[in-house]
Amino acid sequence: MSGAKVDIKVVLLGKAYAGKTSLVERYIHNRFSGDTVPYQNVITIGAAFGAKTVSVDNKNVIIGIWDTAGSERYEAMSRIYYRGAKAAIICYDLSDRSSFDRARFWIGELQKHEEGCQIHLCGTKYDLIAENPELRKIEERETAALAQDVRGKVYETSSKSGKDVALIFTNIASDYLKSLKNTEVEDNKEYMVPLRDASNKRFVCSGCKI
Amino acid sequence: MATDHREAEQPVNTSDSDFQEDVEFVETNCVPGKCNSAVFDTTDELDDLTLNLANGVIQNHRGTITSLIRKRAKRSNTLKDEEADQDLANSIASEEANSIEQSELSSELSEDENVKNGLEDLSLQDTESVPEESPSVTLIPSSSETDYVNSLEWKQQKKHIFILSESGKPIYSRHGSEDKLVTVMGVMQALVSFVQDDKDNLRSIVAGDHTFVFMNRDHLTFVGVTRGRESTQQMLLQLTYMYNQVISVLTHSTLVRTFKQHRNFDLRRPLSGAEKFFDNLLNLMDVEPGLLLTSVRCLPLDSSVRDIVSQTIVQHAKVKDLVFALIIAQNQLVALVRMKRYYLHPMDLHLIINLINASESFKAAESWTPICLPKFDATGFLQAYVSYLDEECQSCLLLLSVDIEAFYTLSECRAKIKERLDRYNALTAIGNSLQRHSYSVQQCSIGDLRHFLYKARSTAQYTSPELGPPYNTPEQQDRLFGLYHFLHDKVHSVSRPLKLLYHVGKYETLLGWVTQGFELYAVFGPLVTKNVAIHAVNKLLRWIKREEDRLFILSSVTF
Ligand SMILES: Nc1nc2c(ncn2[C@@H]2O[C@H](COP(=O)(O)OP(=O)(O)OP(=O)(O)O)[C@@H](O)[C@H]2O)c(=O)[nH]1
Ligand SMILES: [Mg+2]
Repeated sequence: MSGAKVDIKVVLLGKAYAGKTSLVERYIHNRFSGDTVPYQNVITIGAAFGAKTVSVDNKNVIIGIWDTAGSERYEAMSRIYYRGAKAAIICYDLSDRSSFDRARFWIGELQKHEEGCQIHLCGTKYDLIAENPELRKIEERETAALAQDVRGKVYETSSKSGKDVALIFTNIASDYLKSLKNTEVEDNKEYMVPLRDASNKRFVCSGCKI
Repeated sequence: MATDHREAEQPVNTSDSDFQEDVEFVETNCVPGKCNSAVFDTTDELDDLTLNLANGVIQNHRGTITSLIRKRAKRSNTLKDEEADQDLANSIASEEANSIEQSELSSELSEDENVKNGLEDLSLQDTESVPEESPSVTLIPSSSETDYVNSLEWKQQKKHIFILSESGKPIYSRHGSEDKLVTVMGVMQALVSFVQDDKDNLRSIVAGDHTFVFMNRDHLTFVGVTRGRESTQQMLLQLTYMYNQVISVLTHSTLVRTFKQHRNFDLRRPLSGAEKFFDNLLNLMDVEPGLLLTSVRCLPLDSSVRDIVSQTIVQHAKVKDLVFALIIAQNQLVALVRMKRYYLHPMDLHLIINLINASESFKAAESWTPICLPKFDATGFLQAYVSYLDEECQSCLLLLSVDIEAFYTLSECRAKIKERLDRYNALTAIGNSLQRHSYSVQQCSIGDLRHFLYKARSTAQYTSPELGPPYNTPEQQDRLFGLYHFLHDKVHSVSRPLKLLYHVGKYETLLGWVTQGFELYAVFGPLVTKNVAIHAVNKLLRWIKREEDRLFILSSVTF
């Protein structure tokens, strides 16, 4: 899938092992490999790009998804992946406290460099918590408060069961369609024009400052 | 320090004396795979090693990427003053980015390293204030990991590889978790520093049937311990690959700057997530002769098919700033297209193959990742677009660029390339070749020849048949590989290099032959006489010559 056909750019950020790739795999291919493949073998190198068409209100939206590597050495070049993103899914492992600290770091980065990017907080591996509530290291009220702070949404997902995975992307798509309508009203432009504009911007990336 | 020549086995009748006079018997004008225009960067690492270690200087290739980026900047300036902030992208591949990355690394380190690492590794806490102190050896937690590194099984591993920092901090161990090896690594670093105090370098130690080989580079100490057939020189080559792997992940600039700023830096942090590459590289070195020969293995393919593949790449990936485009299938090179004046070194190609080989993640989606190729330019990153071309994930396309923004463009190139290759049935042809498993030694129809390695020196490529009986078990393959190490060492011996070596062993007869144009290592049945062997390799050379179009890439394709 070439990037030029994509309507929205979405980026996944978060600590290594947080479950970003699993989330994308569940969403795009509806599969979950879990323990059948050792994590070391599927650890993301750099970043991976995938795309999926989602239908909202009978309209098709193509979402381009950047699944970034959580390994710290890639941090210096993370900007090329989130630059121009309309939405960011910030993942943390509900059973790993340190992954939440890392999530805060990414929120900071986005607020500094990518103001227009809608933040979606995503607590992963809900199935583990459901099975054993003692594993939970991040409380819901904590994430809710943070989400309110950054005017973002918050989810608790499981790539194993599929819980709420598609919901994030559907929300992103409908947010996008809403924003299109708004610009339509404001600028009194045709529907297609802002769409093309929006897709062009991603590659030229004008207006980004170092 | 001691160098050690081990025999291939108890020799029944060894005659590894100089057979230089025999060279007259053989025709040396037949050099299969010879090529006048360079395909690869053919500098021989083993020569380099010998030379550089003798001089005490290790050269690092640098500046290539910076000059490519400058060219790019100039071009975009003359075209139009486009997005000024594109420089952000460019700079990431260049030196400046390394300093950004570096400052982030070190500033973060000061914040939470103490908190985080302090819990795991108490020895780190006081090193800051007492930098000269070697690591604390008091901390030996008990767990199954600890039991493992104290077990007989651990001690009996055939080959150990360790990486430690100058201050003795464990960075990597092939077997067993490195943080359980604080004691062992402390001793190693103590040995190294002890010799260095006398302005000397510890090169190797022979203890019983183990050889310890040491290599110091850029604040890192690499230690190899083997009870296999590898010579000191060959172990050094393996350690060099490990060093190159470190550089490939971090770049040379970052590595040096990191330790300059923070002598006790824990390199495991920036290397985390890359452990797999070290493990896999070492496994590759145990089975893939191309690393020993610093040469490339091409997938046997009709030259017409290979031409279609490379011409398709030339036509559909004609993108500015693209330095290398290549297709790899099962560790073999299918095609390579390069920017004019820029060459890929086989050692760098092995790192690329290792990247693909070690990671399943490229099979799931198109990827975009930085990679440093130390022979090409140790100071900066290239950006690699990586994607498989077929459903079965056999043929992997890599597009290496200096333009960090090029992903979508390259993704479109990939779509076009795939479409064309499908249409010309080239992917099927590649698949068929993979299924046929190279070729069997019987196809050369040379009686008593069991296996061989042939390296064309001018093209830095090699060929060898698949491993058939008796080398069809891992133990026998291991033994065969040992024989090749023995032969390779004899003909490359620093003190007494041989041109031709005929060696009668217990189970097989070996012939090693090195000329200006090639290196040939042949393994025969045990009863083959010298004359028969020499006759046979001549016949073999003619066979390879007939097949050379299929086995080698003989002409270099550029954008
Ligand atoms: N039980 C359970 N395990 C999960 C879930 N999501 C991910 N995992 C496991 O967590 C580990 C890490 O998942 P990945 O998706 O590879 O993590 P990542 O964030 O992509 O990691 P990096 O690529 O290193 O950044 C894997 O072993 C997954 O099987 C989940 O919802 N439930
Ligand atoms: Mg991942």
